[in-house]
Amino acid sequence: MADFSVNVRGSGSVNIIDLKGYLDAHTAPELENAFNKLIKDSKFKVVVNFDELKYISSAGLGVFMAYVEPMRENSGDIKFSNMKENVYNIFDLLGFPMLYEFFKDESEAIEKFNAQAQP
Amino acid sequence: MNFPFQNLAATRKLENSIFLGILLFIFKVVYPEPDTVLLMFVNELLILASGYMMVLYIISFLEKKVASPIAVILNAGIFNAILFFIITVYSSAYDDPYDVALSSNFIVTIIFIFTSLLLLFIIGYIFVVFRELFFLRQKKSLRSYMNTMVFFLLFTALGAAIKSLNGSLEFIFFAFLVVSMLLIFINSLRVAWIAFLTKKQKLQLLGISIVLSVLFGLNFAYTLFDTEFNQLMNIFSPGFGAYLNLIMLYGTVYFGVIFFTTLFHLPTAEAFDRKSEEISTLIDLSKLITQVFDFKELAETVTTITMKVCYSDAAWLVIEHEGKYELSAVSNIGYKEAETIFNGIGIENYADLQEVLIISEEDATIRSNFLNGFKSLAISPLLIKKDITGYLFAVRKVEQEFDDDDKKNIGAFADYAALALENAKHLEASIENERMEKELDLAREVQYKILPSKTPEYDFLEISSLFIPAFEVGGDYYDFFKISESKLGFVIADVSGKGISASFVMAEVKGIFESISGVISEPAKLLTKANEVLSQSLDKKTFVTAVYGIIDVEHGKITFARAGHTPVLLIRDNKAESLTPTGLGLGIDHGNNFLNTIKELEFDLKNNDIIVLYTDGIPESQNAELEEYGYKRFEEVLIKNSDKQLDYISNEIIQGVTTFSQNSHQHDDITLVLFKWNFNNNKFGVS
Repeated sequence: MADFSVNVRGSGSVNIIDLKGYLDAHTAPELENAFNKLIKDSKFKVVVNFDELKYISSAGLGVFMAYVEPMRENSGDIKFSNMKENVYNIFDLLGFPMLYEFFKDESEAIEKFNAQAQP
Repeated sequence: MNFPFQNLAATRKLENSIFLGILLFIFKVVYPEPDTVLLMFVNELLILASGYMMVLYIISFLEKKVASPIAVILNAGIFNAILFFIITVYSSAYDDPYDVALSSNFIVTIIFIFTSLLLLFIIGYIFVVFRELFFLRQKKSLRSYMNTMVFFLLFTALGAAIKSLNGSLEFIFFAFLVVSMLLIFINSLRVAWIAFLTKKQKLQLLGISIVLSVLFGLNFAYTLFDTEFNQLMNIFSPGFGAYLNLIMLYGTVYFGVIFFTTLFHLPTAEAFDRKSEEISTLIDLSKLITQVFDFKELAETVTTITMKVCYSDAAWLVIEHEGKYELSAVSNIGYKEAETIFNGIGIENYADLQEVLIISEEDATIRSNFLNGFKSLAISPLLIKKDITGYLFAVRKVEQEFDDDDKKNIGAFADYAALALENAKHLEASIENERMEKELDLAREVQYKILPSKTPEYDFLEISSLFIPAFEVGGDYYDFFKISESKLGFVIADVSGKGISASFVMAEVKGIFESISGVISEPAKLLTKANEVLSQSLDKKTFVTAVYGIIDVEHGKITFARAGHTPVLLIRDNKAESLTPTGLGLGIDHGNNFLNTIKELEFDLKNNDIIVLYTDGIPESQNAELEEYGYKRFEEVLIKNSDKQLDYISNEIIQGVTTFSQNSHQHDDITLVLFKWNFNNNKFGVS
């Protein structure tokens, strides 16, 4: 069906996950693998870049719920950036903005991580 | 051609034989030495008839036993030995061959007649053995050779009878005798069945045949010359004497031929054994195709049989799975070792292999030592319409490499195996499909049982609800609770995820709302409690969105809270308003955030107000271009039909969604609950 890809790249102590295409029950395991690898490598500061993501289903949302806890327990976090309006609306309806930080651009998210690390 | 009485039942043949035997016995007691032409004629006729009936009976029970020729031959040999014994006794009983006379002693006569009847049976039996062996593994067209010989044997017997009446007609006897002998020689060459014996059986036959050939030879010699026995036979029946003599000749020649044929077959006996085992293994496998459905089990069987087919020391099977070749089964070799060799040869080099390939240890093109000590390796592609679905491997430790015969066998076997494995694969897939479909049916059943069977009815509040399940069951849920005479509780919820697990969560959600709707009256508090309960039971990836509210059906007031669910729509004055008080989805946050963020919304209903509750199945319905139905189209239909009955509006919405997503199948459940406040209309209508 519709294609999907996950790409992980580093920017200092922060890692960025680029999502592309359709994130649903069938493609969610790919994203889970990416998170598992980050946790295994003790990389807990993650920015998810939604720039090229076209669609997200409830199964896709579930992935973030499952992985945010281990990140936060290790003084890291999952932050979201570059979200299109239709995708943001889905997060918004569920109340994600009350629990997660959303940024217009990934650089802002990285900055926020770095700022938190300073003091 | 058919012989007379041939089709009688076996028991009738036996009865007839006994009857004729008794008749013959009585005749012989009365006329021990028939001396007139008429008596001789009757004598010969009776002997022929009883002998013939015995032969027919013996055929009927030997036919089934001839499948094990060695046993039948042994029987014939034993009878032949008895004959030899009788001949010897007769020879020693009389000193002078011309001194034989019967009528002198009654007891001697009786013994003689008994013995003769026994001989009639013995010779009949030996003849039938020869006849059955002749037809064994033989084409039907040769039947006439045997029949011709039988006729000439009878003619010779007739000739012998005539000769004893009139010595000058001896030439008739000799003419038939010569032809009979010739036919005996020809028919003795029919020994095709020897080739089908195993090596062990051939060795047995070699010993038996030489002994029997000599024994028959001795008996033949005894019955050829003017011995005491021959004299006695002449008295009994000249025809039978000649017949007995020729059967002895047949035995001598036939077992001689058998001996030499077996001797020449011995060197190839082992190869023949192998061949027949190979053939039977192939037959076994073709049976397996219809018997073994489990893929794993079949793969194991294939490797085991491969070893037998090509006499290899080990075998293993590699099957293509999602673009990669994986080791599926091994026989007499460890998984590790098989994998080492398999990886060592680099399977990508054989992507175009269309027939069996033999690789020897010395093969220069291959890296040394990859065979791990094996001397010869055979690779056979498993082909389905020229596509390689896997590879079958066989290895040998011994110096003897796989030869062309092995190559052929492995190739033929691999063709069968490929087909069998492909069948098993398809079968497994369809079983899995069926299992999933049953699971879906069950989930759907659960869903229907959980949803309310009817909507409540009120004077001023019109209610309509509709649920359309998706092919892949979702977790939609809605319900109504009559809290009091004037207060109606309602809920709509959507469990994330699909399938049986979603329908179980849905059942749990129903339980929670049913139990707390009667206890907690404020929607925000009620949802907070629901979140608490669900947070403990849901896995981290699952959440539930919901709207819970209460309508005061007397005063026209609605209070509700939203937990991450799609916006509640209010249709008022030809406008659609999206109502989204804040609230997290149930199960998303396990702490206090839920309680702190959830808001309630409360307002008075105006006449003709429509409240629309739904799940994301409606706005997220997609068409073939993956375009979503969206809120705009949804709201347009609602506004356009806002003055209509709710059931009509429901219908219009579903029509709209179906028309939009025409060629795309519905991938999520659709739930739609509508409320319409009809206070004034009804009030005026009543008064």
